[in-house]
Amino acid sequence: MKSEHFEAIYSFLQNRRDDTTLADVLDLAEISARTMQRFFADMDSVVYRELRDIAGYIESLKREIGVLKANEIKTTRIPLAGQELSEVCKATEAATHTIMECAEAVMAADARNPAAYKALVEEKMMLVFEACSFQDITGQRISKVVQTLQLIDERVSRFAKAIKAKDSEGPGSEAERAREERRQRLILHGPHIGGPETPQSEVDAMFPKS
Amino acid sequence: MAVDLSMSVLVVDDYNTMIRIIRNLLKQIGFQDVDDAADGTAALGKMREKRYGLVISDWNMEPMTGYELLKEVRGDPSLSKTPFIMVTAESKTENVIAAKKAGVNNYIVKPFNAQTLQSKIEAVFSD
Repeated sequence: MKSEHFEAIYSFLQNRRDDTTLADVLDLAEISARTMQRFFADMDSVVYRELRDIAGYIESLKREIGVLKANEIKTTRIPLAGQELSEVCKATEAATHTIMECAEAVMAADARNPAAYKALVEEKMMLVFEACSFQDITGQRISKVVQTLQLIDERVSRFAKAIKAKDSEGPGSEAERAREERRQRLILHGPHIGGPETPQSEVDAMFPKS
Repeated sequence: MAVDLSMSVLVVDDYNTMIRIIRNLLKQIGFQDVDDAADGTAALGKMREKRYGLVISDWNMEPMTGYELLKEVRGDPSLSKTPFIMVTAESKTENVIAAKKAGVNNYIVKPFNAQTLQSKIEAVFSD
């Protein structure tokens, strides 16, 4: 409200008498009404512009939410990616089991009969070759998961850009906070990309008798 | 190898495959009595029931990590002298320093080979 809007009311109140009558009150009401009328007239156009901007923003937000396809990500993409990774784990576990079983059988075999030993080794090595074929399928499965991650990244990035998202400080949930607290307290980093961050030789230097 | 191969060894890892690998390597070295546990809590339970000459533990396990197990072992007067080797993919220097400060006897970074495991065991018992 601009200062001149108050001037009439101020002037009225400045000249008020102790014996205020109903007519005085009505005068004040009239002055107030006129003042507010001007105020709302000024405000109307500003509010209208702002409401129009907000409506436009909400419209574009709805459009961006539609493009995000959050329900599809939640109900289809993520569960499928999870299934693919689960299959990768199963396949690698099965292959590892087969390979180790073969290795253990060869290690335990009696080599006193060369012909029998050779036959056993050849049989187990064939099983090892077969087991190694898991790599082809798991590679394809991991590619599918990577594609899903890229798709989610594209959609979320577009959405974040559209709403000019700013990252909030700290963890997003209590579970996330607890995980991060545990990770820091117990120094859990997991495997480093591209091999060990500290090579064994450098670790050995920290243990003089190694 | 100046190591008592008749001692009991406890392997602590949450991956059966890794337990199997270490078991086989220990068997190759000559150890016959090898037990395993899937995390620190299970390992601590076994250590309080049976005397182990060596513990070989992973770091990243749930609910109790190998790092917590190490601190528990060093904090328990009846277990504190047990040789402890960490075998882990946690390869940051801060991990090695923390483990050393907590009293680990040696530290092996995954992936490792039979020779590394054997040499670290020998180093631990060379005192």
